[in-house]
Amino acid sequence: MNEWTHIIISSVLFVVTLFAITKIGGKKQLSELSFFKYVSGITIGSIAGEVIMGMEGNLLHGVLAIVIFGSFTYLHDLIGIKSKKFRDLFEGKATVIIKDGKVMEENLKKEKYTIDELNSLLRQKNVFKTADVEFAVLEPKGDLSVLLKKEYLPLTPNDLNMPVTPEKETNTVIMDGNVLNDQLSLAGKNKAWLDIELAKVGVTLDNVFIGQVDSYGRLYIDTYDDNVKIPSPQPGKLLLAMLKKCQADLEIFALETETSEAQDLYNKNARKLEEAIQKVKPYLKE
Amino acid sequence: MTIVSDVNQLISTIKGIEAQLSLMALSTTVPEASKTFHDTMLVLGEIKTDLQNRITHIEIKNPQHKS
Repeated sequence: MNEWTHIIISSVLFVVTLFAITKIGGKKQLSELSFFKYVSGITIGSIAGEVIMGMEGNLLHGVLAIVIFGSFTYLHDLIGIKSKKFRDLFEGKATVIIKDGKVMEENLKKEKYTIDELNSLLRQKNVFKTADVEFAVLEPKGDLSVLLKKEYLPLTPNDLNMPVTPEKETNTVIMDGNVLNDQLSLAGKNKAWLDIELAKVGVTLDNVFIGQVDSYGRLYIDTYDDNVKIPSPQPGKLLLAMLKKCQADLEIFALETETSEAQDLYNKNARKLEEAIQKVKPYLKE
Repeated sequence: MTIVSDVNQLISTIKGIEAQLSLMALSTTVPEASKTFHDTMLVLGEIKTDLQNRITHIEIKNPQHKS
């Protein structure tokens, strides 16, 4: 076996092996570089590199070493799920750095972080005053998680007691002019519905680059031809206007009528409709 | 005395709104939204009934309004 074929064969072999190892390791292997995975990742890479370049003659030795390292990380994951002590030993613990807006100096010393480093980490979280922080934790991976004091947190609808309309996931039903049937059925629609909706805006299926259906059954599309003006689906606003008009009509009838009995009837219904409008308004204001 | 035709027009508008709400209730996958649309339809139905009764009442009392 000359050098060329050796490199080709070993490269292919190791791509397959490494792919298998990472696949078994799962998403964690790729995202969270804990100490253990960092070490094993580097080692596996070096082994593969050396064997491929022929510094280490035997292919199978290399594969064996990689499999051993791979199974180490795999076992480490399995035991880690079961045992908290094991996790603390291998993954490290999170350290509280700021509590109730006060810096915990001892913990900072223990982690060997200087005040400048802490400030730098805080700045990366857009915090420029330690006094604004309610609670901050140094994660095992070395980044800082920060909870600001309540008055510095962004305002949410919950803070304002604002009613919000629930929204579920949006399904992408057209990609590159092709209909994705499984996504379409997830959205509770069918091909016939899609054809009607596309005909409404006067766009052919081939011209659609992306088509998405939101949880209110509205179709949003983006076409290849960017000069096409596509009306955004807004049946809600028109409906809300009509409801308000009905309510105003009832109030006008109440003013115009001469019999008190009729006046009461119109007023009662005007109030009833007003309440209904308040309830349904959030859903129509999109 | 409110003109009967005005009230009839309002009833027609309400019917239109009901139809549209029912469409929206069917096309959404959010249960809360569906429920709210249905509730609104029920209220509209009650108002429609009241208005129809009112028209009948006017027509019985004043036969000249009969359309």
